[in-house]
Amino acid sequence: MNPFAVLGIPPSYELELKAVEEKVRQLSRALHPDKFISAGASERRVALGKAVEVNEAWRIVRNPIQRAEALFALGGVAVGETREPAPGQAFLFEVMELREELADAKSNRDAQTLKRLASDVSRRLESTESALAAGFRAAHDDSSRLASIVPTLGQMRFWRRFLDEVSAIEDEMTN
Amino acid sequence: MFLEIFDPKAPPKPIGIDLGTTNSLVAYVHNERPLVITDCNLDALTPSVVCYEKNGTVTVGRAALAKAHEFPRETIVSAKRFLGRGADDPETRKLGPYEFVAPAAGEANVVRFRVNNSVVTPVEVSAAILRSLRELAADELTNVGPAVITVPAYFDDAQRQATKDAARLAGLEVLRLINEPTAAALAYGLDKQQNGTFAVYDLGGGTFDVTILLLEDGLFQVKSTGGDSALGGDDIDRAIAHHLMSALKIDDSASSPSFTRHLLNIARDLKHELTTKSEVHVELTDKTIVVTRDDLNAIVKPLAERTGAICRRALKDAELSTGDIDGVILVGGSTRVPAIRQYVESFFGKAPLADIDPDQVVALGAAIQADLLAGSGPRDDVLLLDVIPLSLGIEVGGGVVDKILPRNSPSPTGAKATYTTQEDNQTGFTIHVVQGERELVADCRSLARFTLKGIPPMPAGMAKLEVLFQVDADGLLSVRAKEMTTGIEQLVAVKPTYGLDDAAVEQMLLDAYDHGEEDLAKRRLAENRVEAHRLIAATSKAVVADPELLDDASRVAIEKAIADLEKAAAGSDPGAIHLKIEALDAASKEFATRRMNRAIARAIEGRSVSDVSAELDAKDRHNERGEKQ
Repeated sequence: MNPFAVLGIPPSYELELKAVEEKVRQLSRALHPDKFISAGASERRVALGKAVEVNEAWRIVRNPIQRAEALFALGGVAVGETREPAPGQAFLFEVMELREELADAKSNRDAQTLKRLASDVSRRLESTESALAAGFRAAHDDSSRLASIVPTLGQMRFWRRFLDEVSAIEDEMTN
Repeated sequence: MFLEIFDPKAPPKPIGIDLGTTNSLVAYVHNERPLVITDCNLDALTPSVVCYEKNGTVTVGRAALAKAHEFPRETIVSAKRFLGRGADDPETRKLGPYEFVAPAAGEANVVRFRVNNSVVTPVEVSAAILRSLRELAADELTNVGPAVITVPAYFDDAQRQATKDAARLAGLEVLRLINEPTAAALAYGLDKQQNGTFAVYDLGGGTFDVTILLLEDGLFQVKSTGGDSALGGDDIDRAIAHHLMSALKIDDSASSPSFTRHLLNIARDLKHELTTKSEVHVELTDKTIVVTRDDLNAIVKPLAERTGAICRRALKDAELSTGDIDGVILVGGSTRVPAIRQYVESFFGKAPLADIDPDQVVALGAAIQADLLAGSGPRDDVLLLDVIPLSLGIEVGGGVVDKILPRNSPSPTGAKATYTTQEDNQTGFTIHVVQGERELVADCRSLARFTLKGIPPMPAGMAKLEVLFQVDADGLLSVRAKEMTTGIEQLVAVKPTYGLDDAAVEQMLLDAYDHGEEDLAKRRLAENRVEAHRLIAATSKAVVADPELLDDASRVAIEKAIADLEKAAAGSDPGAIHLKIEALDAASKEFATRRMNRAIARAIEGRSVSDVSAELDAKDRHNERGEKQ
């Protein structure tokens, strides 16, 4: 499935998500099963399938990592964690240090350090995302450059997972 | 009360049902206003209680509640808490007067209550309540139509399926299952015509839900939902009962079923009285116990805090904070407890709204949705967009869950997964689907095992199976599978982990009728006729609306199929009607697809992204200037 085509938008990393969401709403108004309650079984089935497709496409497009994966797939570049090259030594070292801090903060129930780590890594995530966006812009006219930005996606995955862990630890501490 | 002039051809009136843990209600829309239906005592609440007496008499509601003391084991209260749960669920070990029966080998793993010499399941108890509500509606309306039934937002697949099974058993056609908080928001939103971000805090007799939703000109878009389907007023009652027991220096095991029922009733009355009084004296055995509002507040506090943790997570999932919430809507009888109300107010930092009766608001919302779906015709401006409450995953190696659909995904939704065979000539395999947020299968809730059969024999790794998981607008999961190299659609057999399969429900249906098969055939005939007429009406309307999408051959085929179906529907063979329904459906399939594609093209073109961006930009500039419209 090409999620961009389902939503009728050009395949691009940089999207005005509010405008895309408005489009999703228009499509939902046309396709939601509630609008087909008295239709025949096959029409209901087709509408349900299309409504599911629209929601699935929106789920992909709104998520920065999945959006990137979809663009790579459209460009014929195989991605997925097991297929991507391992990140460089320097990057791994950086991640390891941060992870150690996270583990300490978790065992000490140190909310302040958690907060600092969260905002630190959020900033890293943002700048990685900008780098990825710039990469997609550059690859727009030259798809052979697509493969060179795969490692940036890999870094995004690391930061995203780190932030998810911070959030899980915070949940555990407040409950 | 309204007196409807008797009209044998009155169109069926769709109804909304709130099937609650403690009380149930039925409502409908009259002159564009939702109304609850009251009994002869002008009471809108039917206690969700069913009493099974030795002589076979089954009583429901207030009459059944009155018998609870005399027949504590045979009077099932709060059956909803057992709905869709396994026979060994922790719920069955909590304080209560029932005797449970373990399922025999080969029987479905569901809760079973022993009543006298027979056994009933929560689905059957719920069906008895639904039947009684349907009768209540029939007294008011000349022709009772299909129903929208509400369920807690946090209900999982098994609990939703069990609710649908109960409706089927009760002879109700279900238009849609909708989530209770969303129904409440619908009642508020259409009544007050407000836009903004709302939190619905729904603490009922047995379940807690919180839903964060955006209301925008008739669009009700749920952002996130959270809850606990075993947290509610019953737990407050139990905590009070335990408080009384420790005052009397007795424990659970020393309590007889009738004393337990008595204690729980006293606890409930205490809770109600302490809403307005600051202390209450209880005579129990030969002692007098004083319970104060402060005692109750202390008992309720841990429960309230549990709801707070769930609210925090829902806000986080919606990427919002309490300051972003424009209003908090209170739903459910337990929000009458002052300590709960105070907790909600301090949590969200604003006084909650309760101007629509929290006991009635869900049923009113359900009635509105029923009317929108099948009554006065669709209103293009109103639409509910809900989410799935729990993540959906599949078991992969080592008992680990691979999440395929994250919680709070907008519904209907779906995901695809590809599988291959592990052995040469392997013709089938099983997929285990679970629901929940944890990483291990053992910590999630098992939904069902789907067995794929009939894979063409091929060397290992050659067969490529695409499995499609789909959650429909009722929140119910279905699975389809296709072998990609041959394009063969696979048979998928479902074995629900906690639920009745089709055959078991069918058997219950037969048992429920005096003349079994004969009555069932009559019912099927009636159902198929309704379906036939609906399909004819919908197809005819579409043919008139979009003639340009039909070529002559299809038009002739559709017209013939309509004529055939009309003829079959005039006869009395339910099987023949069913065949002609399928024939019309097949004849109009391509036409339906064309209509759908055009609707999609229109929705996409209607307002292009650049238009909306320009509009948003204009809005931003407008806001920056801070002008008033």
